[in-house]
Amino acid sequence: MNQQILLKVKNLKKIYNNQIVLDIDSLSFNKSEIYAIVGPNGSGKTTLINILNLLEKPDEGQIFFEGKDIIRTSHLYFLKIRRQMTLVHQKPFLFQSTVYNNIVYGLKIRGILYHDQEARVNKALKMVGLPGFERRESHQLSGGEAQRVVIARALAIEPEILFLDEPTANIDQRYIDVIERIIKKINYEMKTTVIFTTHDLSQAYRLAGEIVSLVDGKVVQHVPENIFRGKITQEDGLQWFVITEEVRFAVVTKKKDLTYIYIDPTDIILSNEQFSSSARNSFIGKIIKISEQNHLIRLVVDIGVHLTSTITRESFQEMKLNIGRKVCLTFKASAIKCY
Amino acid sequence: MSFIIEGLRKAFALIFSLDKEVFHIVLFSLRVSSTAIVFASLLGIPLGFLLGVKDFWGKKLIVVLVNNALAMPTVVVGLIVYSCISRVGPLGYFGLLYTPLAVIIGQFVLATPIIIALTHSAIQGIDAKIRNTALTLGATEMQAAWAVIVEARYAVMSAIIAGFGRVIAEVGAAMMLGGNIKDSTRTMTTAISLETSKGEFGFGIALGMILLLISLSINIFLSYFQSKKV
Repeated sequence: MNQQILLKVKNLKKIYNNQIVLDIDSLSFNKSEIYAIVGPNGSGKTTLINILNLLEKPDEGQIFFEGKDIIRTSHLYFLKIRRQMTLVHQKPFLFQSTVYNNIVYGLKIRGILYHDQEARVNKALKMVGLPGFERRESHQLSGGEAQRVVIARALAIEPEILFLDEPTANIDQRYIDVIERIIKKINYEMKTTVIFTTHDLSQAYRLAGEIVSLVDGKVVQHVPENIFRGKITQEDGLQWFVITEEVRFAVVTKKKDLTYIYIDPTDIILSNEQFSSSARNSFIGKIIKISEQNHLIRLVVDIGVHLTSTITRESFQEMKLNIGRKVCLTFKASAIKCY
Repeated sequence: MSFIIEGLRKAFALIFSLDKEVFHIVLFSLRVSSTAIVFASLLGIPLGFLLGVKDFWGKKLIVVLVNNALAMPTVVVGLIVYSCISRVGPLGYFGLLYTPLAVIIGQFVLATPIIIALTHSAIQGIDAKIRNTALTLGATEMQAAWAVIVEARYAVMSAIIAGFGRVIAEVGAAMMLGGNIKDSTRTMTTAISLETSKGEFGFGIALGMILLLISLSINIFLSYFQSKKV
């Protein structure tokens, strides 16, 4: 795969109401790859995608497209770059008109010849599996169809980068698979760079070649599973990280009050029964999700909060684990990273 | 009672014989009101749009003033414009009083707030999503603004028609500014008022029926466009 850097941001900062909501030193996106931006609610995913798509301006920092700084550039060049990318919003919006008129909009404003317009609309509709929908009125479409038309409208432009903000957050379960297949197809067939946000980590793993993890407006090196926001308290000479009334972890930290913690899924030992050890944290919970990831098995266990543990395929088979099964999770206080 | 029946008989005769004077007045009224509406739309739609999309200092005050102007009596508008264009007024030099242009100005002043207010409320509800969608698809700011207006087209059409409905039926400003001069500034409403006071019921009723017909058509159009508003 071509490893050319298409889009890059440097020292990016966005401030709302005197609060830094985005603070990224450096982040780059290669051509023709799929990226997932993941993170908890309020981590800055949508703000980042709006800035990358040049809809919002950062308060500080630079954005490079094919190596050129596009923040300090002429109005015309900025528009030219802006027209090479597009964003599909979380809640799709269609103009009150036919499907055809919706899709052709981006082509009309670019002055694409009439003859080419029709061919490109048809191609885009075919791509999303809705050929023959041209004459339908937008208000007659179902939620899943509307989402696909919105994607077709973005595709007709033939963008270098396609941004999708939570593409499956507002549609029925049965359409999620369809949308995911379309996203893969766009990237494979049109070599479009796809950057999407999601709160569903398994979706990120299914689709993306690379995952960008955002926490509190910052890019972190690990994916945001086992990331929790809570309060550090002192009790019996020990430090506790309190997530909910029922769930608290023993931690070792200099932090006080509100903070985020992260536990590496490989640091969590999974066992069928509780055992005594030096590890200060041990919980019993039920397995609620099992998935495969790079020869490892990811298990999400509900202990009052959802904790992810990864184990090898061999261990998984030996322990005969399945969904609903009660297991014990054990990890050291020092395995918890606070920041 | 008989004068009403006699008046109706005469009115139908005037309408069906395509009486020159009646139709001259009708056409003049339509021409004056249409011209006023075209200019009121050219000013009112962009202003209503700006009020709908931009936040600026004093915006609330402007909205209050515009809404207040909606209910302004036509004679007050007549009075204000009169004082500006009369010989001794600041625009007296142009000699506009008692000309068709004076009526157009009066009707323009009446219609503009209606178009501003109705465009404003139409744009307000739909602005952000359409603008954002258009921008993400590569529109310039102007193209995005146009997309918003196109999306609000039925509501904007309603605003224009509502403005037209107000000015075609008003009498105060047309009377004060046009002076109801025969073959020059006589509109349907000023003619009805004059002919009725002269006892020429037939003429008045004929114009009245035509005016009612125009109002009815306007309302049919209006409800059509309003039903289109999703």
